[in-house]
Amino acid sequence: MTQLLRVALFLLPLTTATITASAYAAAFKGKVALPDGKPAYGAMVTVTDATREQRQTVYTASDGSYVIRTSYAGGLTIRARLAGYEDFTVTQTVPAEGVAQLDLSLRQFASLDEASNALSASAFNARLPWKDLKQDRPAFISQCNYCHQVGNATTRMPMSHQEWMTEINKMEGLLAMVSQRQKATIADVLSRGFDAKPIQAVQSYGASPELARGKVTEWLVGDGYTFIHDADVAGDQKLYGTDEGHDILWILDRTTGKIEQHKLPDIDLPRGGLFSGMQLPIGVFSGKHGPHSMAQTKDGRIWITNALSSTLMSFDPVTKVFKTYQVGHDALYPHTVRVDQNDIVWFTIVASNQIGRFDPKTEEMTVLRLPSNGFIRWTTDMLFPTLMRIGSWFPDQAVHLNLSTHKVFGYSILAFPYGIDVNPVDGSIWYAKLYASRIGRIDSTTFEITEWDTPMKGPRRPRFDAKGILWIPAFDEGGLMRFDPSTKAFETYVIPSVGKGEYETPYALNVERTSGDIWLAANNSDRILRFKPATKTFFSYPSPTRVTVLRDFSFAKDGSVCSSSSNLPAYAIEDARPSFICVDPEGGARDREDLAHQADQSRPRANRPTRSQRGGRRRSR
Amino acid sequence: MKSSPITVTIFSFLLAVAGLLTGYIGLSAAGYLVPAAALFVLAALHWFGRIQRFVAGVLIVNLSSGLLLVLVLAFGAVLGARKLDVSGVALLVNLLTGGPLLGLIAGPLLYVTRHEWFRARQTAVA
Repeated sequence: MTQLLRVALFLLPLTTATITASAYAAAFKGKVALPDGKPAYGAMVTVTDATREQRQTVYTASDGSYVIRTSYAGGLTIRARLAGYEDFTVTQTVPAEGVAQLDLSLRQFASLDEASNALSASAFNARLPWKDLKQDRPAFISQCNYCHQVGNATTRMPMSHQEWMTEINKMEGLLAMVSQRQKATIADVLSRGFDAKPIQAVQSYGASPELARGKVTEWLVGDGYTFIHDADVAGDQKLYGTDEGHDILWILDRTTGKIEQHKLPDIDLPRGGLFSGMQLPIGVFSGKHGPHSMAQTKDGRIWITNALSSTLMSFDPVTKVFKTYQVGHDALYPHTVRVDQNDIVWFTIVASNQIGRFDPKTEEMTVLRLPSNGFIRWTTDMLFPTLMRIGSWFPDQAVHLNLSTHKVFGYSILAFPYGIDVNPVDGSIWYAKLYASRIGRIDSTTFEITEWDTPMKGPRRPRFDAKGILWIPAFDEGGLMRFDPSTKAFETYVIPSVGKGEYETPYALNVERTSGDIWLAANNSDRILRFKPATKTFFSYPSPTRVTVLRDFSFAKDGSVCSSSSNLPAYAIEDARPSFICVDPEGGARDREDLAHQADQSRPRANRPTRSQRGGRRRSR
Repeated sequence: MKSSPITVTIFSFLLAVAGLLTGYIGLSAAGYLVPAAALFVLAALHWFGRIQRFVAGVLIVNLSSGLLLVLVLAFGAVLGARKLDVSGVALLVNLLTGGPLLGLIAGPLLYVTRHEWFRARQTAVA
């Protein structure tokens, strides 16, 4: 009833205009207001299609205005959302090719509980009562924020110390690598910190003119147990997603919204592959390969690193045929994959401290062992694959935990070569060691290896810009690092948080090579960040969906930057399902301009304003 | 009966210390409690000069399995997919017989077990 009243109050009469572009059906325009009537700047206006499988979002300008054109028709849900205010949602049936004038008004939360529930995980985990923040929190960030947010509605359930110990035991079965002391400390802090009481926090996502030009599209995929690790835009402009838990390759046609799934071929391994000794949750992990990351060679084949089966796999998008290649006898967990200028496939192998090199033409596989960075790490590098093999003799028992020295020393005794990229200037291969906090360069011809310590901890998935500058997300310290290979100099930037005392967890980044802009995942606060190196400025795009954990970023020819919403488990995401997500930095501006153009077309020719009078700028493609 | 030579005292002490260190690791990774227990048993047997043939046998197995483990990890590519099976068995055997710390002192300890005092102890017991 309240909803109906709101609709009656704020839904203005519709004005319908004819839209000529067939790609679009329903369009909305209007203003979003704060409770005091002032314009809401940077608010999200989201239109969800009738099937609730897709949605699009634009951001309001400084005057509170928005315009959104969608390809949806029928009964659509329109929601306005801004941090600190209650969502405003209406459902409306829009005639085909209609433009609805719809003003939306945000309200204050009715209770502290509601306000608290609308906060991102970063607000909750910022308030955890660490006795020694510098000593104790890094392990929590590194190992607990590794695959998911801790502090969202699912993971901040109040539990006793013992219950948290049991929960962390489960995470250890998923390869969380905490020492016994770290585990007890984390369980203690979480049992005291997450007490189900509402919290008060002011979060600001930083509205900007850049934000008002953007548009986000989300396509929901699979179910609450689907685990799409990486998403990649291939040459056919479709989005490919690797379901690490179920050995499925998801393919999204962004134009039609059609989603296909292709099952990876079976392999003679038990569930969990070479990691069958771990305690992988059955619902989320039913597969054997664990497809993880993707890259495409010029012949169109997509190369997939299979983490659990330690294989490399090719997929032909035309014939839909997979082909499997063994990596090596002791290679454990092939991770991020990239292709160099000569179409050689390079990938990190995290758990055995190696780099893989595969030549698709000769089908020759080479595995390079990386420097161990100390005796203890050498011991771990050498022994860890053996421990996992022993574990596989006792399926689902996580026996390796009883033998691994990380239980004493913590995760930092492993090197964990994680992200990898190719320097476009000289073709060298660069990698980041997540736990050893080092980056390294491999000469692609001589295989000579050189390494450097990073000034911030937790370098994760780095990327090069067009000029050969390496940009590195510092996951453990919420930072961005710039490394110039010619001067060997680092620069560091701290990622701005959305609230006091909060921190950020940048999982991955990618550099848009024309503009040089860097797009980063900000997984603790449901944001996508854009960093402009020229001005050293961060722009924030709040995700329309609560609990957004993004992995690799990939660019489409239309200017969109795409990723996968990949929180583990997916049922903790606001929709209880994962999604493909694309941000078009000019999509919102284009909607405004196109709608204005159509309105002009409906006027008598003499009364039409010129483009400069409208203040628009059409983006060239 | 003659009192034990100083080398026996020293190596018994070293075995006990190795047992303590391994046991400390075992508090976090329970699997290391097995080699810790083995080290304490060896320390006691060595101190009392009992069943030195058994002790020597354990030392030889520990050394061999440790050596095999290192060799397989470093040069085991020729074993192909079996490499990790061999290294896994070698590691488990090594841990059952006292673990890697024992390997550091097993060589000199083997030499010490040939001391005349042990033969005297065996004779006395018999």
